[in-house]
Amino acid sequence: LFARRDDHDWTQEHLSHYVEDDLRRRARRRLERHAVDCPDCRRGIRAMKALLRLVTGLDGRDAIRTPDSMFDRVRADARSSSDKPDPGAEG
Amino acid sequence: MTSTLARHARTDLLALETDCLARAQRGEVAAFEQLARAHCDRLLAVALRLVGDHADAEDVVQETLLRAWRGIGRFRGGSDVFTWLYRITVNEANRSREKGARRPATTQLADEQMQLSGPPGDRPAHRAEYQEVRVALEDALLALPLPHRTAIVLRDIEGFSTRDAANLVGVGEAAFKSRLHQARLKVRAALGDEVLIAAAG
Repeated sequence: LFARRDDHDWTQEHLSHYVEDDLRRRARRRLERHAVDCPDCRRGIRAMKALLRLVTGLDGRDAIRTPDSMFDRVRADARSSSDKPDPGAEG
Repeated sequence: MTSTLARHARTDLLALETDCLARAQRGEVAAFEQLARAHCDRLLAVALRLVGDHADAEDVVQETLLRAWRGIGRFRGGSDVFTWLYRITVNEANRSREKGARRPATTQLADEQMQLSGPPGDRPAHRAEYQEVRVALEDALLALPLPHRTAIVLRDIEGFSTRDAANLVGVGEAAFKSRLHQARLKVRAALGDEVLIAAAG
């Protein structure tokens, strides 16, 4: 019973690893062996796959348009300095 | 034929970018704008996901552009321009959240950013329910600690490889993966299995 409980908790913690194919073969076998007999974990695998489908569908960048004013500070900075960009700054 | 045209188009773009970069490094602000503008929409979309508020996201991108402009003289092309700008954006978003910028406006994010495409396998009967789940999903993402949220945004939404995403954030791959897995488990717990399975159809 304890081993099963351990396997269950461990499987629940590794559902993302599993769907990402980020488990070594032995760990993968452990998870699959447990899931065969555990409806909760089988549902968890389906839910994790569903989550990935939903999250990867969250793009939305088509709806974003950068206003022209986004460059105002750059332009002001360029005007205020007759020097070229500071080669010592972030790169 | 198509691939030849595509290759030529890529070569032209690369040449244009190289030319703009050289001119920007000589201090031509118009060249810098041309160089950065191609990436701005994507940077703003990412900033919005990371900070959750449109005004804060615009601040993040403005600061990103300013830092990039001031630092372009030192840019040596170790990564491409896009990756370089992206890294600055992620850093600025972190800084913005640490400064305790405006609270994420979840409904604002949901409305603006999701301009609503249909559910996977778009079935009209599920549309209203699906949109509710998307809002809940966005809320769950915004409730994550920023390092976890960043992991999901870069890897799952933006589609970076684990290596590139880890590199952007400045952590090792193992640490990045750990964040990513934890983040997904938290979002799964927030939404619940049944809801996720039903929404994904």
